[in-house]
Amino acid sequence: MSDFHDNYPEYEKMSNHDEAYGKKARRTLWNVFWVMLFITIFELIIGSMAPDRGWSGTLWLKVLFIGLTIAKAAAIVIWFMHLGHEVKFFKYIILVPYTVFIVYTIFIVLEEGTYSGGEGRYAKVDQIFIEQQEALKNAHHADHDASGEAHGEHH
Amino acid sequence: MAHTAEIDSTDAWGGAKSPFKISYGKMFMWFFLVSDALTFGGLLVSYGFIRHKYAEVWPKAEHVFTHFPFIEGHLPLAYVGLMTFILIMSSVTMVLAVEAGHRMNKRGVIIWMFWTIIGGLAFVGSQAWEWYHFIVGTHEGGPTGIGGAWRNVWDPATGAYVKQIFHGANMVTNEYGVPQFANYFFFITGFHGTHVFSGVVINFIIFLNVLKGTYEKRGHYEMVEKVGLYWHFVDLVWVFVFTFFYLL
Repeated sequence: MSDFHDNYPEYEKMSNHDEAYGKKARRTLWNVFWVMLFITIFELIIGSMAPDRGWSGTLWLKVLFIGLTIAKAAAIVIWFMHLGHEVKFFKYIILVPYTVFIVYTIFIVLEEGTYSGGEGRYAKVDQIFIEQQEALKNAHHADHDASGEAHGEHH
Repeated sequence: MAHTAEIDSTDAWGGAKSPFKISYGKMFMWFFLVSDALTFGGLLVSYGFIRHKYAEVWPKAEHVFTHFPFIEGHLPLAYVGLMTFILIMSSVTMVLAVEAGHRMNKRGVIIWMFWTIIGGLAFVGSQAWEWYHFIVGTHEGGPTGIGGAWRNVWDPATGAYVKQIFHGANMVTNEYGVPQFANYFFFITGFHGTHVFSGVVINFIIFLNVLKGTYEKRGHYEMVEKVGLYWHFVDLVWVFVFTFFYLL
C-alpha cells in the first residue's frame, strides 16, 4: 500500500503484538475452545438421549439447541475471527445484514409457514399421495395378519 | 496491539486512510464471507421448510448416523461428534497460527498451520466415510417413501407381489425415510465439504509461502489471518449444519 500512497497507514501490521499480549490472547483462545467443546459434548449427550425420552421435536429442545448454536457461532466470530477487535462501524457492516436476514426469516416462516403444513399437517398436494401410501400400508398389514404372504395389490 | 480505539469522525472519510482501520484484503474477505453465509442461510431455511412439511416422516438423524469406524454396534451421533471435534480443534490451531503470525513467530505459524491442514484433511476424509455409509445403507434395508410404508412390487420369479426393499440412500430413494432428506444431506454437507476442501488447498498454498519466508520478508502475516477468517467461517457453518441436520 505504501508504494501507492504517501503516509498511508500500514493496517496489515497493526494487529502485530508482543509476547506478553500474545500470552494473554492464547489463554483467552484456549478458554473459548474448552467452552465450545463442553457445549458440543452437552449437545451430543442431550441429542442421543432425546429419542428414548420423547424429547425429540419439543419446543424447549429446539430453543435450547438453537440458543447453544448461536452462542458457539458468537464465540467463533468474536474471538476466533477477531470481530470483537475491529472498530465499531465495521462490526455493524458485518452484523446488520445478518440481523436483517434473521428478522426476515422469522417473518417469512410465520407468514408463509402455513403453506408447508400448519393445522392440516400436510399440504393438499400431498394428501393424495399420503392416502395411496396408507392404502398400501394397510394392505401390507392385512396381508401380514392373514398369512404373512403378499398378494395382488395394485398401486 | 489490538486496535480497539474508535476513529475520529471529523477526518475519517477524508481519504488517504481506511475509516474501518482495516486493510483492503481483510475487509473484502469479510464481505465475501457475508455473501457466502447468506447462501448457506438460504439452503438451511429451505431445508427447514421441507423438514417442517414432512415433520412426521422425516428420518431421525440418531437412527441414520449410527456407525463408527472399527467399532461394531449402535453408536448414534458418535461419529459426527468426532467430526465436530476435529473441526473445532483445527479452528483453534488456525487461530493459534494467526496469533503466532502477529508475533512474527515463523516457527509457530508453521507448526499450527501444519496441524490445521491435517485437521482439515481428517474432516474431509470423515465426511467421505460418512457419505459412503449413508449411500450403501444397512444390511436390512428399508422402505422408501412417506410414513415408512412398504411398496409392493411384482416379482415374476415367484408370481406374487413382494415387499420392495431399498438399501442406502440416493437422490431418488432413501431407506431411512423421505428422499428429500438425502437430497438436502448431499447438497448441504457436499457444499460445506467443498468449502472445507478448498480451505485445505488455500491453507496449503499459504503454508508453502510461510515456509519460503514470503511473509517474514513482507513484515506481517496478514495472509495467514485472511485464510484464517475463511477457515473459521467453514467451522462456523458446520456449527449450524451440525445443529440443523443432526440434532434437531
